[in-house]
Amino acid sequence: MIAALWHNLDYAASVILFCIGLYAVITKENLIKKFMGLNIMETAVFAFIVAIGVVEGGEAPIMGAGVEPPFINPLPQALILTGIVVALSTTALALSLIIRIWKQCGTIEADELREVE
Amino acid sequence: MRRALVIFVLVAVAIPLMLAMAELPRHGSPDAPPQTHVAPYYLEHGPEEAGAENVVTAVILNYRGFDTQGEVTVIFTAMAAVVAVLVAGGAGVPADRAAAPATTPVSLIVRFIVRVLAPFIVLFSVYVILNGHVTPGGGFQGGTILGALLIALTLIMSESDARALLPQRPQRLLQAAAPLTFFAVGMIGLLLTGDYLAYPHSGPTIWIATLMLTVVEIGIGIGGAMVVATIFRTMGADR
Repeated sequence: MIAALWHNLDYAASVILFCIGLYAVITKENLIKKFMGLNIMETAVFAFIVAIGVVEGGEAPIMGAGVEPPFINPLPQALILTGIVVALSTTALALSLIIRIWKQCGTIEADELREVE
Repeated sequence: MRRALVIFVLVAVAIPLMLAMAELPRHGSPDAPPQTHVAPYYLEHGPEEAGAENVVTAVILNYRGFDTQGEVTVIFTAMAAVVAVLVAGGAGVPADRAAAPATTPVSLIVRFIVRVLAPFIVLFSVYVILNGHVTPGGGFQGGTILGALLIALTLIMSESDARALLPQRPQRLLQAAAPLTFFAVGMIGLLLTGDYLAYPHSGPTIWIATLMLTVVEIGIGIGGAMVVATIFRTMGADR
C-alpha cells in the first residue's frame, strides 16, 4: 500500500490537506477559524481533482503551432475553475454572516454563542 | 477524552481515503480512465470547433457555457447576499467617517508603491482577460487581478475618494456585467444559430465564435472585478 501511495503522492497530499481542514473544523471554536478549515478542505478537493488530470510529461492544453501531445486533461481544470468561483462566493457570504453575528452577539466563539441564545 | 475522539475521527476519515487513493490509477498515467474517454475529443476538436486555442477556455465558455452562466450568476448573487446581510441590516456608514481614511493611516511607501504599480496592474489584467482564449487566463483570473487593484486603491484612498473611483450609477450595471454579457451573447447565439448560447461551429465563421468568447471574457472580467471590490468594500464599510 505504501508503494502504491508513493506513486500517488499528489493524491495522498490532498488527503492530508483534507484532514488538516477537518481538524480545524471540529476543534476550533472561533467561527472564522472553522471556516478557514472548511476552505482548506475545499482546496484539498480542488487539488485532488486537478491532480487527476495530470498526464506525465503533458503540456498545457493550449493548441497552436508547434505544440505536441500529450496534453494535460482540460476538463478537471475547467470544473475546478467553476468550483473556485463558487468557493469564493460561499466564503464571502459566510464572512458577512460572521460579521453580522459579531455585531449582534459580540462574540464569534461557537461555545460562547451556545450560551448566548 | 475530547482529544482522543478528535484523533479517532481524523484517523477514521484518513485511512479509508488513503486506501482509496492507493487503489487509484497511477498518478500521471496517460491510460487512466479520465484521460481516455471524453478529454481526447475536446483536445482534438476543441480549437477548430470552439474558436479558442486554449481548450480550458473552450470548455468553460463554449461547451459548458450554460454552466458558466450559472456560475457568474452565483457570484453576483453572493455579492447581493453580502450587501443584503451587511447593509440592509446595519445602520450604514456614519457621516463623520465618510471623509476619514478608509483604514488606519497608510504609510507613504505603501501609498507610493500602489500608485506606481496601478497602471501596470491594469495593463496586466487587461492582457489576461483579452488573451484568455490563447494563453492561460481569462475573465475570472483577469477580473480578480483588477478587483485586487480596486481593493488596493480603496485601502490607500479616503472613503470619499474611493467612492468617486467607482461612481454609483454605472457601478450597479457593472456589478451585473457578467450575467448580462452572457445573456446578450446568448441571445446573439440564438439569432445566429437558433439555440441559446450556441456559437457558430467550425468553418469560415469561426472568428465570430472567437469574438463572442472575447466579449464574454470582458464581461466576466469587469463583472468579477466589481463583485470582488464591492464585497470587500461592503465588509470594510461597517467596522
